Amino acid sequence: MTVKVRFFARFRELLGTDIPADPKDGATLLSLVRDLAQEKKEGYDAIFDEQGNFHEFVIVMRNGKRVEHEDAGTVRVADGDEIAVFPPVAGG
Amino acid sequence: MLSERERERYRRQMMLFGDEGQERLKKAHVFIAGAGGLGSPVSLYLAVAGIGTITIVDMDVVDQSNLNRQILHTDNDIGKKKTVSAEEKLSAINPDITIHAIDTRIDETNAARLIGNADGIVDAMDNYPTRYLLNDSAIKKKIPLFHGAIRGFYGQATTIIPGKTPCLKCIFPKAPPREVFPVVGATPGVIGTVQATEVIKYFLQSGDLLTNRLFIWDGLAGRADEIHAERMPCCPACGSLTPDKGGKYK
Repeated sequence: MTVKVRFFARFRELLGTDIPADPKDGATLLSLVRDLAQEKKEGYDAIFDEQGNFHEFVIVMRNGKRVEHEDAGTVRVADGDEIAVFPPVAGG
Repeated sequence: MLSERERERYRRQMMLFGDEGQERLKKAHVFIAGAGGLGSPVSLYLAVAGIGTITIVDMDVVDQSNLNRQILHTDNDIGKKKTVSAEEKLSAINPDITIHAIDTRIDETNAARLIGNADGIVDAMDNYPTRYLLNDSAIKKKIPLFHGAIRGFYGQATTIIPGKTPCLKCIFPKAPPREVFPVVGATPGVIGTVQATEVIKYFLQSGDLLTNRLFIWDGLAGRADEIHAERMPCCPACGSLTPDKGGKYK
């Protein structure tokens, strides 16, 4: 199974972008992004809180559709998925 | 009817869209929320394009630390209301349009009234709580919201057509923590001109709007990306709107 994870803005600086991943069967959105983010503590901390949940403001999209944080731990990734993870940019 | 002076002023763009297009821009009334980093390029480019009526709202005074990015304002404007400075510059750059500059804070009690009968809203704000108010007003009035936001070298933009595209809350349901954000002035330059282009295309009914797409600019990487975005049926702001499949843009 191959999926692509795209980090944007500050997350991209910390973790890179367009990362191809080969998650294990049964991997969820949450477990996949956690595994990738754990490569770099600063990147992980930017995305996850101390309990390992997404920070409230982090946007997670799967194939263009936003996934609610409470569902990210149960939604399984599928072959060909494109996952986008980004912070809202706020300035003006 | 366009005057001779207007024909001459807009000659180079009327090569693209003719009398009809220019008349459409002249009839348009655009509400710009903010006269700062994004509001500066948006208002300047909409003014020179000949958007007939521009309402621009801001509550701040020009500060020296604004001047790395807020190109409506100059050193001589420090201490002046941004609305006063904006009105002076926009009227000078195009005396053939009408500018309403309103010095106030946009809040839930006045947003709908301030927007009035505008045909579209430009989000040039620096915080999500006010953006959500603009989003609600756009949905209520069924007019487009041209969203833009920046931080550092990053920016994002999307065009929201209520009932047809995801609204701001569909994409960004929770505001990020408030901060004094770093910024290099060229970033709102990029995003503000993308927003202005969207406004012009919307009124011309021409081209492909940034609908159902979040445009993402990464100035450091020199890359533009887009993320496909869909409406959220459970969205508290627009979830009850019936999908609008009719017509083009309006």
